[in-house]
Amino acid sequence: MSLALATLIYEWRRYTAAVVALAFSGLLILAQVGMFVGIVQGATATIDRSRASIMILPSKMESLINSGGGALPGRIQPLIYLNPQVIEVASMDNDGGRWMNMPAPGKKQVTTYINVNMVDTRADAATLPVDFPEEIRVALLEPYAVVIDESQLARLGVKLGDKASLNGKTVWVRGILHGYPDVNNASITMSRDTLRLLGLATKDGKTGPLMVRIKDPAMSPMVRDQLNAVSKGAYKAWSREDLSKANERAIMGEQIIGIFLTFSVFLGFLIGVGITSQTLRGAILSSIKEFASLRALGVSMGSLRWIVLELSVWVGLAGLIATALFTCGVYLLARSGGLPMGFPVPWVAGVSALLIVISIASGLLSLGVLKKSQPADLLR
Amino acid sequence: MSTQHAIVARGLSKRFRTGRTHIEVLKSVDFEALHGEVTMVMGPSGSGKSTLVASLSGLLKPDAGSVSAMGEDIWDYRPGRIDRFRLDHCGFIFQGFNLFPALTALQQVEIILKYKGYSRAEARSKAATALMEVDLEARMNSRPSEMSGGEKQRVAIARAIAKDPQLLFADEPTSALDGENGQIVIKLLQRAAKQFGAAVICVTHDPRLEVYADRIIHLEDGCVTSDRRADAGAQPELPPHAKPEFVGV
Repeated sequence: MSLALATLIYEWRRYTAAVVALAFSGLLILAQVGMFVGIVQGATATIDRSRASIMILPSKMESLINSGGGALPGRIQPLIYLNPQVIEVASMDNDGGRWMNMPAPGKKQVTTYINVNMVDTRADAATLPVDFPEEIRVALLEPYAVVIDESQLARLGVKLGDKASLNGKTVWVRGILHGYPDVNNASITMSRDTLRLLGLATKDGKTGPLMVRIKDPAMSPMVRDQLNAVSKGAYKAWSREDLSKANERAIMGEQIIGIFLTFSVFLGFLIGVGITSQTLRGAILSSIKEFASLRALGVSMGSLRWIVLELSVWVGLAGLIATALFTCGVYLLARSGGLPMGFPVPWVAGVSALLIVISIASGLLSLGVLKKSQPADLLR
Repeated sequence: MSTQHAIVARGLSKRFRTGRTHIEVLKSVDFEALHGEVTMVMGPSGSGKSTLVASLSGLLKPDAGSVSAMGEDIWDYRPGRIDRFRLDHCGFIFQGFNLFPALTALQQVEIILKYKGYSRAEARSKAATALMEVDLEARMNSRPSEMSGGEKQRVAIARAIAKDPQLLFADEPTSALDGENGQIVIKLLQRAAKQFGAAVICVTHDPRLEVYADRIIHLEDGCVTSDRRADAGAQPELPPHAKPEFVGV
């Protein structure tokens, strides 16, 4: 075991401040990334968990985020069936509307704009999420029935069995969903039939994005390419995974989120370098006589610098482990509160690299202290 | 016993600046040390003992004068070359033991051998041998916090002698130790000289150590005031290959 690693393990208390500072720097960024990705995942949950392997979007649309849903000419839908792999093509006619609860006397009136998600209620429908329980599907068969995620109930001022008004028409809360939170807008889910009854379905020969169920989901990249090859620019086919990643990218590219994250990275770097370099300086100073004795015995200053840099890398790695633990804790906490979080690999890799950069920068900043390791000072 | 010169220094001068004045710590000091001898440098505080040793060992450049160690004029070298010279030829023992708290006795010795270029296995075996030389085989895996002062100083000695230095510098090696441990330490230094032919240069205040010296140099106000060889009859010479006696440490 090297001197640097042995020192970190044996004197871990001395380095705790640096490790915790690094962990919070990492957490500061990762928690925000997790939250923003969670928002996307919440907003597109019904699509991500649908039976459809392929999505058809308007050709210029790059994701489902802040794109207004997008509308396709109705004539596209039958064209998709020309591919022999395709079993079902269903339009995702999600919409929105003005929600008002009907509060009991003394309770608060809620009036808000909500997203309306739509599913087909056949058991194997392309638009029906795979994790919808059977009783939810059956509940949605009832006209004017809606289901709401548990996390949205308070926000919408209703509970199971309540009625509410959507665009002035009465709907009934017939089921409670789990795992479909929407941090952005409140949302409810209903059947395609109810959507039509409420007059929300897209009109004028347009449909929403199309969801395509195919015979063998493993063939989705091939089918996607086949569909794109014959689209003539009228639409663009996406595999579900591609679209999910595009959605993530789109939200991370939002300007305000970019500003948040850039600021966090800057702040994380500053806090990380500040605390870690001071901790390292203190630790080196406390061992300065030992370092000086190595110098006396002929170990070069360059070798001592390597020891400090190696120590800083180990501190960085310990900080990384602490970040993982902290982030895991935050994730579990969020999950217990019904809040989704997502951690895309490029961001996790980026934050890991940042923490190592912070620790190495701190190591470089604390190298100056080694100048105090004058072996002649030991001769007193 | 060899009578070859290990160090020859001529006209060493060193001044330190304190505020607006200069203090001349070494005033044109000449010094010689022979292989196989223990040379004690004694004198009151501030007499320049430590500065002399620092200049002789390549740790502190004198303002004037030359130091020829092992036939090499060390102050003509670049700092990196002086480091290498110390790594190859010098061992140091300080008043404080200066051991890394995180390392075991074996690792303390091993680390310096690795820097000298030994492989991991060679370093380990040489380190173990050095610790056995100082009778610490039972403490190889102990950290400094688990050792007594005497044991720590013996680890420091093992660290200094493991790389077979021809020049061994000790600065007040016994002042933090009780009488018994002090005796053990000085006997080990003496053995390094007698058995391995190292030139041992030991700075001390402790008059009890005089009996172990081959030569005693008194320094006062930066000048050598006396330079005498110890009375051969009075010195407790160790028989060849004899280990010092360890008492209750």
